[in-house]
Amino acid sequence: MSLQSSGGGGSRMPAVPTPSTGAVMPPVAPTSGVSERKQARRENWRLIRKRPAFIVGCLIVLVWVACAILGNRITPHHPLDYRGPINQSPSWDYLFGTDKTGRDVLSRVMAGARDVLKIAPLAAIAGVVFGVILGMFMGYLGGVLDLVASRIVESFLALPTVLIALLAITTLGNSSWVVIGVVATLFTPIVARTVRSAVLAERDLDYVTSAKLRGEGKMFIMFREILPNVTGPIIVELTVRIGYAVFTVATLSFLGAGPPPPSPDWGAQVSDNYNSIVAGFWWTTFFPAAAIASLVIAANMIADSVQSVVEAS
Amino acid sequence: MSASSISLGTTATAAALAVDDLQVVYTVRGIDRAVLRGVSFSVAPGEAYGLVGESGCGKSTTAYAALRYLPRNGKIVGGSVHVAGRDVTSMSTAELQEFRAREASMVYQDPAQAMNPTIKVGKQVIESFTLLGQSKEQAAASAMVALRKVRIADPTRVMDRYPFQLSGGMQQRVVIAMALACNPKLLVLDEPTTGLDATVEAEVLDLVRVLRQETDAAVLMIAHNLGIIRQLCDRVGVMYAGKVVEEGPSAQVFDDPQHPYTVGLLRSLPRRGVRKTEQALSTIPGILPLIGSDLPTCVFVDRCPLADETCRTVVPPVVPVGINGDRYTRCHHSDRIIEVEETKPGVDITLLAPAEGQPDVLELSHVSKTFKQRNHAVPALVDVELGLAEGETLGIVGESGSGKSTLAKTMLGIESADSGGVVSLDGRAVAAATGGRSAEDKRSMQMVFQNPDSALNRAWSVRRILMRSVEKLTGIKGEEANKRVETLAAHLRLTPRHLDLKPRQLSGGLKQRVAIARAFAGDPKIVVCDEPTSALDVSVQAAILNLLADLQSEQRTSYVFITHDMGVVRYLADRIAVMYLGRIQEVGPTDDVFHGPNHPYTEALLSAIPSVDGEEKVRIRLDGEIPSPANPPSGCVFHPRCPRVMMGICDVTEPPLAEVSPGHAMRCHIPVEQLIELQRKPV
Repeated sequence: MSLQSSGGGGSRMPAVPTPSTGAVMPPVAPTSGVSERKQARRENWRLIRKRPAFIVGCLIVLVWVACAILGNRITPHHPLDYRGPINQSPSWDYLFGTDKTGRDVLSRVMAGARDVLKIAPLAAIAGVVFGVILGMFMGYLGGVLDLVASRIVESFLALPTVLIALLAITTLGNSSWVVIGVVATLFTPIVARTVRSAVLAERDLDYVTSAKLRGEGKMFIMFREILPNVTGPIIVELTVRIGYAVFTVATLSFLGAGPPPPSPDWGAQVSDNYNSIVAGFWWTTFFPAAAIASLVIAANMIADSVQSVVEAS
Repeated sequence: MSASSISLGTTATAAALAVDDLQVVYTVRGIDRAVLRGVSFSVAPGEAYGLVGESGCGKSTTAYAALRYLPRNGKIVGGSVHVAGRDVTSMSTAELQEFRAREASMVYQDPAQAMNPTIKVGKQVIESFTLLGQSKEQAAASAMVALRKVRIADPTRVMDRYPFQLSGGMQQRVVIAMALACNPKLLVLDEPTTGLDATVEAEVLDLVRVLRQETDAAVLMIAHNLGIIRQLCDRVGVMYAGKVVEEGPSAQVFDDPQHPYTVGLLRSLPRRGVRKTEQALSTIPGILPLIGSDLPTCVFVDRCPLADETCRTVVPPVVPVGINGDRYTRCHHSDRIIEVEETKPGVDITLLAPAEGQPDVLELSHVSKTFKQRNHAVPALVDVELGLAEGETLGIVGESGSGKSTLAKTMLGIESADSGGVVSLDGRAVAAATGGRSAEDKRSMQMVFQNPDSALNRAWSVRRILMRSVEKLTGIKGEEANKRVETLAAHLRLTPRHLDLKPRQLSGGLKQRVAIARAFAGDPKIVVCDEPTSALDVSVQAAILNLLADLQSEQRTSYVFITHDMGVVRYLADRIAVMYLGRIQEVGPTDDVFHGPNHPYTEALLSAIPSVDGEEKVRIRLDGEIPSPANPPSGCVFHPRCPRVMMGICDVTEPPLAEVSPGHAMRCHIPVEQLIELQRKPV
């Protein structure tokens, strides 16, 4: 009774459509299926491109990415070594003005993109990866593990982020890796909670039952069967987390956990110069702060657009 | 030529509802897609009009558009809707609100969603009267009257409850009472009984029938169940791809369809007691066009056996049928309807007979399943004894909560049977849980689920879904496994192109084929099918049932077929087990179960089926609600609802499952001779 041997005679399966008159054959599902899917993707893409928020967000991010990659090659002056007139307000010569040692603020803001763009996405990605793993175990395995992990996650969320981060950095040192590790650890429980609820909705679907019926292991079910079906919320979470990571990383370096003073890092610049605001030298603080804000907002604009399209489809 | 002009002779002003050339689009991903492509019909005051058609044909959209309740992305782009002479399409928001409050009402599929779960039923019913301007006291009195009107015996008690404390049937009664509060000129019923059990459905339909005589509201009824429409509606419109293709008095349309689509739809139903051993079911080739797709002049042309070039280029005429002028069909070839051939291949009857005189492939002995719920033991299965022969189909029927699905899960080991119960495969006891069973045991027994959307991994391609099952169940790997996948797919009439698609790119019927292919990946001995066609349209259901019968005749597979559809189970099953409250109440060969004598519960179930053939039946009413399994009645668990109860015996001792004729057993105290006498059917 194998399938191979059982072809042939006695078949009474519904015949392939054979209309009795000369009707044109109906379009079968697959053809329309493929084109329909491409069509849907094209339409989704067109929809997201139509959103001004998405376009503006992407443009801002692209500008900063270009600054980060090209660095000194496109800055008007060297961000560290140049010495011009000190404390110049913005002018045609120095668009963002100069700081107390005569360095060009514009050049420093452009070069400062590199640190944050290196650290924030890595931290967000690491946080999402660990969050996905933790959330998957909590959601799928449930039981005592879920109960205990959920309480830990909640207590983590109750702690003030920045304090914990500072504490960790002062004890572990303030290398980029420590900052990435700390931010990732802070994000993990948040991501885990999102993933857990997505997994809960999948766990009881029949395809999981079917996998159990053919004897699949737990790891296979979690990471091969369920994971690909919860990518939507994960992608949304990632884009949102990148925005938060930019903000957290900048905050940390403002508080002194970032690279030391000569560095053009945005947070460090703000921290280095905010004392001089009262003296009227607002530009040395304003422009790096505006740069942080622009990147956070851009990331959120992209995240919102991605979210609305992911949720609609 | 406008269709409404020939349908009943009612004009827009006289009709309770007049829909003329209605066109509706849905905006999906930024593009307008046509859903209704010029729908016209009218309903006279006091008349009941039914709209039927397969899912996606636009029948619900029509109903919602009639009250301008379209979803946010839907809009009316042409045509008009008049209710009691007033143009609904041009009303302002305020007028619309007033209109919905006083002139028209709607009853939805799910009564639980139509009520606020946090407010007591009484307050909600009273509110529908205060809205009309009545004082608190007046409204309270009106609410009592309204609830009595929908045959609620104890309105005071019902009013003091929250919606979730009422059964589905009771909830729907309350919703209907609220809908009738304003004495509407038009009552729209959108699949009002789809979520209800057969016996409850019959009660609600009885109620609607009685209420129709008491009020003069026009009724627009949407249902996919043709039997319901036949029983309840004076006239019916058959919809396909956003157009009414045929219209006329229900009995005439169903007995003598005049459009190729109606013909196909009716033929694909398992009717008049036809069995799989007698003939295959007829199907409609092709699939329903997607909403918004460009269609030729005749919307049905791609699936029509009569279609020719004219149908693609000339708009089909509205052809009057009969001499009364109350019927029409929208077809170029209405004179050739008789030529529509049945698309049903021949069948080899001998192959379909279950094996006799051999040991059963599956045996359940003393199988019980008790769930723990807040320290309460809830027995979902009680002492089930069943056997399944090779090549046999065992149908399992019963209302929701009867334990059908738990039985299936317990067989498969998704739920472990209580200790003491034994599940045996080929005479060998197997572990209670799937995890404890051998690879061979897992291979032998697979499942087809009710909802293919949930049963197939959305992220996987069809090839990967089948490949994984082949590899895991048979141990074959690589190129050989791939070949087997292709053979398997070809067997299920899936083309190689289907293999590289994701489930969501397939239609419901194709998805269910993939799910069946997966179950058959390891040449199982037993396949448990849990309502495999209840989520599908009837024409697709026919193809799937044919396929299952065909696979069985070729591979001698045994099926456990769970369903609530008596027509389907009669067609496919060799034996039927009727379950109530986790117990098998009756089991026997299909013919015996359908011809009787029956257990009184089976009798009630059978009498509740709304028949599309219009046969007269004596309805057996069941009083009360299905008791909770946590707290089963004493004696025979059916006795509180049994119309033939013998107090003093039935409420004291539980009757044994006793054989009344070879292979036909039931749990009833009434002697079989007496049952035969009681159930003798009028000739």
